[in-house]
Amino acid sequence: MASAPALFGVVVFTFLLMRVLPGDPAVFFASGPNAGEAEIQAIRVQMGLDKPIPEQLVRYLWDIGHGRLGRSMGTGQPVTVDLANRLPASLELTFTALLLALCCALPLGIGAALAPNSLLDHGVRLLCTLGVCVPTFVSGLLFIYAFYYLAGVAPDPTGRIDIFASQPPTLTGFLLVDAALAGDWEAWHSAASQLVLPACTMALFVLAPLARMTRASMLAVLTSDFVRTGDALGLSRRRVVLVYALRNALLPVITIMGIVFSTMLGANVLVEKVFSWPGVASYALDALLASDYAPVQGFVLLMALIFVAVNLLVDLLYGLADPRVSVA
Amino acid sequence: MDFRRRDMMAGGIALASSGLLGRPAAAQSRAETLRQVTGNSVNTLDPTMPGSTREAFGISVNIYDRLVSFGRKQGSNGGWVFDPDIIKGELAEKVDTSADGMTFTFHLKRDAKFHDGTPVTAEDVKWSLDRHVAARSLAAVQVQTGGWTKPEQFTIIDPHTVQAKVDKPDRLALPNLCTLYCIIFNSKQAKSHATAQDPWAQEWLKTNTAGSGAYTVEVFKPGEQVILRRNDAWKGGPLPYFRRVICQTIPEAATRASLIEKGDADLSIDLQASDVPTLAQRGRVKLVSTPQFNAFTMVAFNTQMAPFNNVKLRQAVAAALPYQDIFKAALFERGAPLFGASWRGSPTNGKFPQPLPLATNLERARALMAEAGHPNGLDTTFSFNVGSAATSEPLAALVKESLGRIGIRVEIQKLPDAQISTLVTEKKLPFLTETSIAWLPSTDYFFRNFFTGAQRWNYSSWNNAEINALCEKARYELNAAEYERLCKRMIAVLAEEVPVIMLWQPNQDAVMPLGVDGYTYQYHRQVDYRDLKRA
Repeated sequence: MASAPALFGVVVFTFLLMRVLPGDPAVFFASGPNAGEAEIQAIRVQMGLDKPIPEQLVRYLWDIGHGRLGRSMGTGQPVTVDLANRLPASLELTFTALLLALCCALPLGIGAALAPNSLLDHGVRLLCTLGVCVPTFVSGLLFIYAFYYLAGVAPDPTGRIDIFASQPPTLTGFLLVDAALAGDWEAWHSAASQLVLPACTMALFVLAPLARMTRASMLAVLTSDFVRTGDALGLSRRRVVLVYALRNALLPVITIMGIVFSTMLGANVLVEKVFSWPGVASYALDALLASDYAPVQGFVLLMALIFVAVNLLVDLLYGLADPRVSVA
Repeated sequence: MDFRRRDMMAGGIALASSGLLGRPAAAQSRAETLRQVTGNSVNTLDPTMPGSTREAFGISVNIYDRLVSFGRKQGSNGGWVFDPDIIKGELAEKVDTSADGMTFTFHLKRDAKFHDGTPVTAEDVKWSLDRHVAARSLAAVQVQTGGWTKPEQFTIIDPHTVQAKVDKPDRLALPNLCTLYCIIFNSKQAKSHATAQDPWAQEWLKTNTAGSGAYTVEVFKPGEQVILRRNDAWKGGPLPYFRRVICQTIPEAATRASLIEKGDADLSIDLQASDVPTLAQRGRVKLVSTPQFNAFTMVAFNTQMAPFNNVKLRQAVAAALPYQDIFKAALFERGAPLFGASWRGSPTNGKFPQPLPLATNLERARALMAEAGHPNGLDTTFSFNVGSAATSEPLAALVKESLGRIGIRVEIQKLPDAQISTLVTEKKLPFLTETSIAWLPSTDYFFRNFFTGAQRWNYSSWNNAEINALCEKARYELNAAEYERLCKRMIAVLAEEVPVIMLWQPNQDAVMPLGVDGYTYQYHRQVDYRDLKRA
């Protein structure tokens, strides 16, 4: 509830921003010989752009209140339908990538913290620096070149499932879940293998913040009193590190995880483009280039909602990691 | 073969253990499946929807029939190209044209059926043609160029015969009915989805089809893929080879290129121009390069605005451009030049676009600058859209450099597509480059659309009384010799007045695996899947 004013601000701001941008969508979408003033005006009326801007804003807010986000000129579909179709694709990719990144970042971060300035520590630092420095479209294209074009071990990097495979019936929109529910393991395998390269590309990019944060926070915790006490009491090193130290070190990692997740969802447009992934970010970019207002506004609103949801989730996770934190 | 290779690889390497094994059923139909990869997307199933993409046009050609369509011929490069002079029946068995050229009688194929099994009748044809002239769609503006403006022009003679009449004998009346907007809908099906606000079922037809074409739609995901299945009961022509067609959106051009080269995809017509020669050299793909003879790239002046309302200045620029260098640097000479003709005064034939007598002559350019009243030169901007940057950027750089030599200081302006469309429509740009295309490549049609009137396509906003009169006359001129005379005059005036500088007709590069055959360059510059087969 507390986030309602922020959301409202985001909606109004994007609305105005889109209208300030140069380029008239009606002109862009009117084509054909003799597409003169009359045709352009007709499209303007169809898009509601003939009304004064304050009236457009009120209508837009009214529509949002009724769950309508307008229609995309680019795809010809209602924006809500487009987003509902594409969000699961983005979420599936982001979740997988985040999971992958966490699985690598936590052990690496812990390892680096346990032996600071060792070879392992430097190795992790190098990997993180590489991951951050190489833009995702470069690493993505490199992966494709190496694993698809040269080695031929990866499936063609074109979307969520092999184009010749049959698609499982849509229930959740998450192909892995849908295929598993339908018991269609062939489709599951296909979807999973399509997911490997883009997820690795994204995971590599976000490895750095997660691993570095784990390392820093672990280093601080490992020098604290209760760890020394644990060691002194003769608890096994394993128990001290994984149970007592890690749990206390997790809070900042969870914070950064929330931020990383939201960023990945919106900013992975390059990964989506390179792997022809039908996600929300590439959808928004296409719409932006065509001055197609409704999808961009819908996308920003969606991202704002997800950001709020993720923040809430992060707050709840704090409670799990550290019982002293309570969400009032 | 392809399938076995992939399986063997997959067996050996752990990363591939998922997803690549065991789909023999899919592999059997792979040979009969055509997979086209494109950077753009299909956004509607109704090509007449405002905002339709070119890819949507291509799909619609395959799922709908028209009464008539264009034939094809062997082009200058040996590949197939469409032939606007051959008109063949699709839903019509026969077309009778009256002696005065004003009445067309279409006799429908009696066994033609829509995808739902109902027969195609005169009533469907009438409803569809009425829609094309009456509904707010892209069709209305197109067909009016052939004299089709109101539903009263179409009458039902009997359940299998329709008559269409124009008020004046228009040369483009019949060719317009061949274009992809003039599709025939299943009127009963469409009407059942019409509403009071939407009497022509435009909303429903965006995502559904009601046609009789060679293919039916199996999957339609805007921005992702369209999957078509062959309609085995099709009567519009010989049954196409491919049983299944996949048109998939792959935004990354490099990925499209490797898909084709590995044989995983079967056709792409929008690879990066710089990738194409390398791909062809490696010899694992087939390249069909066709000069787009119904298109042209030009440099346009705003003839209604200072300084380029001065004809001497335009002539000076035309004499200053290094045509051959631009052709080489911007297009790698992959196209047909429209400059460097040797005729003076009047052309040898009435075809358009044809090479004009444009040549580099700096002496003359400097003299013309002085005559134009700009001995000290002037400042201007040269604009192009981001989408065409690959060719326009080197073009703009050479324009800037060469005009610098005659004292014109050029600032280059690169604009996003939506923004440049707006500025062009508002006629605010002084000097720009664009590539344009006409579906109906006849000289008077080119002049009417690109060199007269207030619409966006008249990039130079040219308004020349003689040209306006000649266009109007040529449109209704049925005598071939007289038509040729009028066209030659129009071209001569264009060459003299230079509202635009014609540069070239770029090639369309269609790249496919060696086994794919029959690719035809179509007026809509998209793929007609019905032409293709696997050898």
